[in-house]
Amino acid sequence: MPLSGEATTTRSRGQYSTSKLLFFLILAFGLMYLDYKGQYLNKVRSYISVTTYPIHVVMNAPKNIFLKLTESMGQREKIILDNQKLKTENITLGSQIQKIYSLERENKRLRELLDSKPKTEDIFVLAEIVTENPDPFKHRIIINKGSKEDVHTNQTIADSKGIIGHVIRDQIFGSEVLLITDPEHAIPIEVARTGLRSIALGMGSYEEIKLSYLAVNTDIQKGDILLTSGLGGQYPVGYPVAIVDKISALEGESFLEVRAKPFANLTNINEVWVIQRAVDGAIEFE
Amino acid sequence: MNRELKNTLYTWAILIISCSLLVVPLPEFLSFFRLPWLSLAVIFFSIMTPAGFGVISAWIIGLLADVLQGNIFGGNAMALSLIAYLSYRFHLQIRVFPMWQMMLSVLLLLFLNELLVLWVDGIQGQMTFNYIRWLGIILGTLIWPIFMAFLLNLKSKIL
Repeated sequence: MPLSGEATTTRSRGQYSTSKLLFFLILAFGLMYLDYKGQYLNKVRSYISVTTYPIHVVMNAPKNIFLKLTESMGQREKIILDNQKLKTENITLGSQIQKIYSLERENKRLRELLDSKPKTEDIFVLAEIVTENPDPFKHRIIINKGSKEDVHTNQTIADSKGIIGHVIRDQIFGSEVLLITDPEHAIPIEVARTGLRSIALGMGSYEEIKLSYLAVNTDIQKGDILLTSGLGGQYPVGYPVAIVDKISALEGESFLEVRAKPFANLTNINEVWVIQRAVDGAIEFE
Repeated sequence: MNRELKNTLYTWAILIISCSLLVVPLPEFLSFFRLPWLSLAVIFFSIMTPAGFGVISAWIIGLLADVLQGNIFGGNAMALSLIAYLSYRFHLQIRVFPMWQMMLSVLLLLFLNELLVLWVDGIQGQMTFNYIRWLGIILGTLIWPIFMAFLLNLKSKIL
């Protein structure tokens, strides 16, 4: 077995002294405590992330380039088909938008009648995904817009179909996003049909989130659409989150077991919108 | 370039590469093949070439790994500095062990590292039992002889 022939024992003893270890262990525990208790360390973290962001970009470059290449080398017929599909989709969407114009006008007129402040519009910023967290139980991604482009903690991330999650840490060139399916995540929702409010919790599966503590006699059906309720001030009001998929009432339990499927495509995220909310868009509780 | 500087550069290059390997995207069918590269590298340097390494280096690279993985600040730093210390304490014995005993010690160290990380996660209330990481420990132990021979060879070629 090859051994390095250096006489290292006496030279290196100082680098492994017990006092050094104890000092750095205590330092590590201090950092963990600060990081856990408050967000004191986010500035430090965002500065260190300047060095880690290039690592993410480099490690994900082969995958991202491969995806781009397969996209651009796609067969001609497929592109033509896609184009046709998009054209028809565009026409339908266009006709739906016409309705929205009139609705928006009507909404504005009614608000003027009521003398209430009109809702200001949200700003959308397009971002691309850099990497996903390799741990299958941590549903987190990093996107390529950070505090340099005015993307900050607590802003909402959505794709074209629904809410994806929100920014938990802004770095300088990118930001970390917690997905709604992460076991640590909870999002206040409202059932579109009945106005019932609840909280949807992530479960660690990309396909479903759950509503807990709904009494057995709650009016909820399969196919009900869940929107963000805006309570708590974290998410803007009225964005689609998920569709109720499965309801089961276990005998002897006092609560329903409700599972819902997120609208957003969480397994294959490519481009996302960062929703930068207008200031008075939500109800705030402090 | 003198020998010591070269050695330090080599150590840090390997550390950064193994740190990057922690976040490399893998296709679904390969997702079990996620080895604890960084812990292996820390154990290697503490046992084989302790002069260019130390508790502080392990701590710093652990902090970098924390930021890279989005973990709590200081979790990996704590675990890795402890692993570096323990490996160094027993490095004279471990070096002369026959290979299977050496692998057993590596398994023990990797296991301890994993327990510490799991403990920190548990304190935050997000402990999930992830069999992939335990499988990674066993695979990491099995790959140790190749890993060690590769790094030693590379070193003797470069320096």
